[in-house]
Amino acid sequence: MTIQGIVFLVLFLAVLAVFGLIVRLLYRILRAAKPENRFDRWGDRIKAVLVYVCAQARVLAKPAGLGHFVIFWGFIFITIGTLDHMLGQVIPGFGLERIVGRRLGSAFILLQDVFGILVIGALAVAAVRRFVQKPERLKIDDPAAPRQAALILALIFVLILFMYGLKGTEILEGSARLTKTNAPVSFSVAEMMRGWHMNVPLANDVFSWGHNLVIFFFLLFIPFSKHIHILGAIPNVFFRNLGRPGSLSHMNFEDESAEKFGVSELGDFTWKQTMDLCACTECGRCQVACPAHATQKPLSPFRVIHRLRAQLMRDKGGLLAKGSDVLKPAPLIPETVSEDEIWACTTCGACMQECPTFIEHVQKIVDLRRFLVLTESRFPAEIQPVFKNMEVNYNPWAIGYSSRADWAAGLGVPLASEKRSFDVLFWVGCSGSFDQRAQKVSRSVVRLMQMAGIDFAILGTEEMCCGETARRMGNEYLAQTQIQANIETLKKYKFNRIVTACPHGLNTFLVEYPQFGLSVPVVHHSEFLLGLLSKDALKARRIETLRGAYHDSCYLGRYNGVIREPRALLSRAARHVAEFGRRGRSSFCCGAGGGRMWMEETLGSRINEDRARELLGLGVDHVFTACPFCLTMFEDALKTLGREDVHALDIAEVLLEACSQ
Amino acid sequence: MKILALLKRVPDTEAKILINQEGTGIKDEGIKYVINTYDEYAVEEGLRLKEKTGGTSTVTVVCAGPEEATELIRTALAMGADDAVHVCDKALERPDPFVIAAVLAKAIKAEGFDIIFCGKQAIDDDMGQIQSILAEMLDIPQVNVATAFELAADAKRATVRRRVEGGDEKVETSLPVIVSCEKGLNDPRYASLPGIMKAKKKEIRKKTLADLGFAQAPGDARSTILRWLPPQKSSGCTMVKAEETRDAVKELVRLLREEAKVV
Ligand SMILES: Cc1cc2nc3c(=O)[nH]c(=O)nc-3n(C[C@H](O)[C@H](O)[C@H](O)COP(=O)(O)OP(=O)(O)OC[C@H]3O[C@@H](n4cnc5c(N)ncnc54)[C@H](O)[C@@H]3O)c2cc1C
Ligand code: SF4
Ligand code: SF4
Repeated sequence: MTIQGIVFLVLFLAVLAVFGLIVRLLYRILRAAKPENRFDRWGDRIKAVLVYVCAQARVLAKPAGLGHFVIFWGFIFITIGTLDHMLGQVIPGFGLERIVGRRLGSAFILLQDVFGILVIGALAVAAVRRFVQKPERLKIDDPAAPRQAALILALIFVLILFMYGLKGTEILEGSARLTKTNAPVSFSVAEMMRGWHMNVPLANDVFSWGHNLVIFFFLLFIPFSKHIHILGAIPNVFFRNLGRPGSLSHMNFEDESAEKFGVSELGDFTWKQTMDLCACTECGRCQVACPAHATQKPLSPFRVIHRLRAQLMRDKGGLLAKGSDVLKPAPLIPETVSEDEIWACTTCGACMQECPTFIEHVQKIVDLRRFLVLTESRFPAEIQPVFKNMEVNYNPWAIGYSSRADWAAGLGVPLASEKRSFDVLFWVGCSGSFDQRAQKVSRSVVRLMQMAGIDFAILGTEEMCCGETARRMGNEYLAQTQIQANIETLKKYKFNRIVTACPHGLNTFLVEYPQFGLSVPVVHHSEFLLGLLSKDALKARRIETLRGAYHDSCYLGRYNGVIREPRALLSRAARHVAEFGRRGRSSFCCGAGGGRMWMEETLGSRINEDRARELLGLGVDHVFTACPFCLTMFEDALKTLGREDVHALDIAEVLLEACSQ
Repeated sequence: MKILALLKRVPDTEAKILINQEGTGIKDEGIKYVINTYDEYAVEEGLRLKEKTGGTSTVTVVCAGPEEATELIRTALAMGADDAVHVCDKALERPDPFVIAAVLAKAIKAEGFDIIFCGKQAIDDDMGQIQSILAEMLDIPQVNVATAFELAADAKRATVRRRVEGGDEKVETSLPVIVSCEKGLNDPRYASLPGIMKAKKKEIRKKTLADLGFAQAPGDARSTILRWLPPQKSSGCTMVKAEETRDAVKELVRLLREEAKVV
């Protein structure tokens, strides 16, 4: 081994050791975090890595993702080349082609050669986007972030230059493995250098060491920058939530001596939530999708994750102290995440839908709410009566529970307590029971079921709030009380499925009630009514004069994939003539989710008005909804925008009209 | 400092109240019971005073009411009260304020106190007598309808602001005293979960009339309710109907001016 080889080996081992220590520390951070079971369905997890890491499916969902695709694969090829080169410095005569054979080795050299140029192109585009265009989604309030980004872009650029320099000099020295066909770019570089009349062996050493040092620096710098995602993203995709995204974690209240609930410091997160922080690419896609951010509220999911990671990097120090296996207990609220941010979230899930590395923002925000509500009893003043109303009268409004079924008076709606056994349980929900506008929807559903001769019943005054709202507002204790009471009631009756006109109820029955031991088939009224149409149990005549656009509710479309059914139903009942730009899984929230329905919207502009303006741009005179909250939010927005000529109708109302002609 | 907070179990304001067949009370079914709203202010004020005075201060909830009141007492304990006295006796089913006050007075005397907070009235029968009768029986000053409370530095006197017709009155009182609380005095807290958990283990001292030293039911009621009558049906309300809100408002103003003659 040459002196150079020895120096390299020593340095290389030292850097590797430090890098190993850093990775070990990261591992210890995860070990110190709270447990969470993500160790099931290995096959699906491997598939997730193939689709979302190797094929970069979510990254490529946006045009700018192509740049990442190129850099990602370029980085892999270059890293393999780097390893090849580094080992060559230590083991004389080492070469990749010795292991994989000449042909494969040669093909690999070609890939590396071509990707180098492609990466430089992608870097140029990235630099222009970051420093010239500055799109909304990359905007962040941390001045260090763009500096770090610039440094990384520059480093990759320099690395590639060194790589070409290295290969160019190798060619000038008369390399056997590099040919014009497998290294065309390097050959051009070599040609260019030939004119410089330089000391080729010295230049080769310089490029080699430059290359080495950049890689060393990279290894040590990665864990402290957003490029930690190189370490975090792949496992994060692997351990992603494979179930439906709309369920929140179950809290156990058995320990009566517990003094704290929810998350107030980093150590309260589970290991997967902590890993999330290390997986953020800072692409900002969640930020542009976020309705709170779009309406100038302080919340941006991107910035929340960014600041949490920054704190993780600061507080990991606690773990370094000897004998310690916990993070430094430093509060997250209000410096790292403010209360205004925590309460601005509608839990719409758009951030999670967009995130290329499957970061789960909503659970974290709800965990912070859980701490504020359960432990500290600290929340916006207008929420307290909501909680109290839910406790006393089982609905968020201050309306006596005994009037829950008043909307059904005179309709001949049977009660479950009278029938005991029936086909369909119509879950009316709080809005459908108490909100005057939504009561009309409940009556429409009932009329349609009666037309189709469905054997159904409602719970009447036995029905309680489904718990969805309290849960998303962080009041898990209240939510569980409601959920358990409802399960007791539901268990008394025999029925085949639940039908509901409320996507929030739908979601909670589908993905949350099973956590408490009740799994019943539940369908949204759009699915159910479409089924009746297909079976000819209902006969609709399309109302040609009714022209509108359908708005996807977050908890129906994005969370539960019910996107086709309402449209299919509408196409048989009215003229569904226009589509929102933001639709389906990428729909834009009405502003009412996550308990925002019962909170004042004092910061920024109003989410429902943003959405209503999008509607007005479509030039239709109706918006069709499939959620009582969306219905209210649209009606309110259209009123404040002075556009009472545009109306909001639930799909059940439209269908009833079409069936009554 | 020993702080007492009185608590009455009353029907929820949103409950549909129906009078029973005999006219002797209300129908129980479909009714949810809650802590009397003004008593929530009393409990909260007690807790705030305890927090301010610190040390050995305690808040004890005192309630006369049926078995089911326990749940509401737990709520007050979850808010942070230390313990409770619950007078629970079949003989107290439909008492008049004088009887209740006599019972409460016995319980309170046995307990000892520096200050008593109570509500300015119970929102069910709206009598508003208990605090005054209690003040007489305990021979202490009373300050009613308090909207602000401040304990003096020596903890022997207090300044209370009370709402009176057309203004506020500032009263200085010596301790011990009974203060009845009005809306605006404070914003009662929402019990935290650790509070709820701890409340499960806090002591509620159940007392019968016999425990309090009454040889028999205190029968010296000063009043007897003979019959409850539903409120007289009002002449009915007129729904103003119009397509546009603007027209509806115009019509409403016309009705108010010409028919009701109130504007
Ligand atoms: C502003 C005002 C003006 C009034 N004017 C008149 C008047 O002009 N003429 C007149 O005759 N009377 C008047 N009163 C008195 C009033 O009508 C009644 O004396 C009185 O409201 C209360 O009886 P109650 O049963 O409703 O319980 P309240 O006496 O209303 O209850 C008051 C408080 O006593 C405590 N309490 C009551 N029951 C219990 C229980 N079972 N256990 C524990 N604590 C309990 C609670 O803290 C409750 O908030 C007035 C009162 C007020 C506040
Ligand atoms: S759930 Fe919706 S509102 Fe909440 S942070 Fe994500 S995108 Fe924003
Ligand atoms: S959280 Fe996900 S979507 Fe948001 S910036 Fe990070 S990687 Fe991008």
